[in-house]
Parts: sequence; C-alpha cells; structure tokens
Amino acid sequence: MPAAIGQELVALLPRLRRFALVLCRSHALADDLVQGACERALANAGSWTPGTRFDAWMFRILRNYWIDHLRRMKVEGMTEDVETQTQLVGDPGEAPILSRLALTEVQRAIDTLPHEQREVLVLVCGEDLSYREAADILNVPVGTVMSRLARARKRLVELTAAA
Amino acid sequence: MSQLHLTDEILMAFADGELDETVASAVAKAMAESPGLARRVVEFQQSRRLTRSAFSSTLAPPVSPELYAAVSAQVRAFEAAGHAGDTVTQFKPRKPPAQASARRLPSFFNMALAASVAALALAAGYFAGQRDASGAGSLVAQLEGPQVRDALSTVASGQDVELPTGRLRVISTYRLANGSLCREFKLQASSGTADAIACRGGEWNVAFATTRPAGNADYVPSDGADLVTAYLQSVDAGEPLVDGAEAQALTRRAP
Repeated sequence: MPAAIGQELVALLPRLRRFALVLCRSHALADDLVQGACERALANAGSWTPGTRFDAWMFRILRNYWIDHLRRMKVEGMTEDVETQTQLVGDPGEAPILSRLALTEVQRAIDTLPHEQREVLVLVCGEDLSYREAADILNVPVGTVMSRLARARKRLVELTAAA
Repeated sequence: MSQLHLTDEILMAFADGELDETVASAVAKAMAESPGLARRVVEFQQSRRLTRSAFSSTLAPPVSPELYAAVSAQVRAFEAAGHAGDTVTQFKPRKPPAQASARRLPSFFNMALAASVAALALAAGYFAGQRDASGAGSLVAQLEGPQVRDALSTVASGQDVELPTGRLRVISTYRLANGSLCREFKLQASSGTADAIACRGGEWNVAFATTRPAGNADYVPSDGADLVTAYLQSVDAGEPLVDGAEAQALTRRAP
C-alpha cells in the first residue's frame, strides 16, 4: 500500500531520532539533526528510488547531514546529556525480554564502544538493515561493516558477561 | 576432511543470515561438529538480541511534540508545493523481533541455531535477566548428579521418578547416527525446570539443556521442549527407541 512520502517520514521519526541520538549523543542536537535531515529529504524527494528501502535512504541522509554539521562546527565530540537522562521508557508493544537492570547494563556497554562501531551496531542490530544497506548508509565497503560489527558485538558480549 | 577457517565475520554473517546458502551449509556442518563454533555463533545472536532490546526499549524518550510539529509543517509545505503524489511503497519489516537472526536461513539452519541458542544456556548461563537468580547454573549441575544418572540408566521412557533434586521424567531414548545412546528428559526442581538430553559415554553426560527458573514472569523463552526437538533433529536423532529396544539399549554396557 503506497503512502505519501511525507506521511512515511513522520512515521519514521522515532527511529530517525534514535539513530540521531546514537550519532550525536545529545537530545537537543538530535532533534535539530532529524529536522534538518527531513528538510533535506523533502527537498531531494526525487532522488529516492521507489522500490528501495525508504528507511535506509533516510538514515543515509541523516548521517550525511550529521557529517556536514560536524564539518561546519568542527566539533569532535558532542555534549553527552544522554547520560544524565536515565528515565526509562517502556515499550508496551514488546514483551520485556530482559530486566531493565540488564538493559541499562547493555546500554552502558554500547555507550563505551567507539563511535564507528556504535553506528554500525544500531543500523544492523537495532534497525535490521542488511550489511549492504548499512555499508551504503555509512559509505564504506561491506567488509568494513562486517569487521566493525563483529568487533562491536564481541566487545558487547565481553562487557555484559563480565558485569 | 577439509578444515574450514571460520573468522568472526563469517560466523557473525551466519548468525545474521547474511551468508549465501553454500557457505551457510558449510558453516552449519562445521558448527555441528564443533561446540566451540556453535558457541561463537550463539554469542553473535545474543549480542544482536541484546542490542535490539536495548535500542527498542530504553534509549530514546518519545519524539517531542515540537519535533513532530516541525516535521509535519515541512511535509505540509512540501505537499502544498505539488508533491502530494510522491509515494513510498510501504516497507514491511523483514522479520519479527523474536526471530531476529534467523531470517533468511533455510529451516535446517533455523533449527540448528535454535538448538545452539539453547545449548549456550548450558555453556554459559546465558540468560542475562536471570543472572541474579542463580537457578540456571545449579540446575544444570544437577542434571549430571548421581541420582539423575542412575535414573537415566534405569527408568523407562514415559515414567516419572521423584529424586531429592526434583521430579525427573524420562521422555524418550534415541540411538544417534554415531552410535551413542541419548535420552531426552525433564527435571522439575524447586529452582526451575530443565529440558535436557544426556548421552551415554562412560557416564551420562548432558549434551544439551534448556532451563527456565521457577515462576519467572519476566522472561518467556521458547518452549524448551521445542528446542530439544530442534536439537534432536539437528543431530539426526531419528525415531525414538521403544519398549524392548529401549530396555535392551539401556542394559547393554556402554562401550
């Protein structure tokens, strides 16, 4: 069932914001990034190829927007207000798989990963994109996606097992 | 026999369903022969599940009304400019979360992987949510206790026995293709329930087990019995031995 591109964009907002948070780690900046990326997407709506994944296309735009932002601001790391926000939001649609305590622990472990591992982790494991799709978004070869992802996941297992 | 060199990347790609069928079947074969490999694959599945859970439930507070409003305004402006006809083919999620990493694998691999996931419960006390419950480890240890081993040598399939550790029910007996004799059983202890398969070498050793703690409402695993069935299929257990054949197999001393 085809849906208007704008409608699809609005529906995608929670996931875009989640990815933006992984990229910039600031709640305020994440909102700005998402808004800017949406604007760019609408301005370039014609460059989206029907039949391909709209979400992957948006993630790519969002990430490019972020990189442009970094270039403009010449910022290395951003403020980390994520860590001060410990409020947990339940997801009523999904039965709790892990206790909240364990999830917080996993979250902390993910936060310790290098940035380039974290973004590939969220795209593949958080967003269910294929290696190929993640590689296109990140603009790196599939092999790079795989080596970063494998390192991230091994580290995650180590960190969560040691806790 | 050729030895596969399996890197982390390949095992991860297998866990994620990213390998083509030829490579995947070679990996599956190697996994069946090496618990260490299976364990590494399971860890990649586990990390995927952990990540997924973390991202789906805790990271992001809801999108603010301001952001919704701002983007909706952009969309209205866009549509007013005559783009209302631009459409997107509805994207369907490729798989439900529960089947995270098995999406494109043929069914045999699904079973082998399901079996491997459960095997890790034995190998590592995997279930993160249960780490504090301490039930799983000791329950697994009980599966190789002397009373359980005695019972496995004597009790016929379909019978229950009360042991100090709990109620043991032997479910069925199999002769594997490699000749080893294995029994599927269930142990219900106060700390939880285990579905397990033990095979007789010199002694009954647990080859596979799934455990769930008593009264844990937080974590609902796949039914342990289904995983045991998947495991039996993955090791090509065939038909169970019944009656006389079972009794004969049990009395014959292990080689």
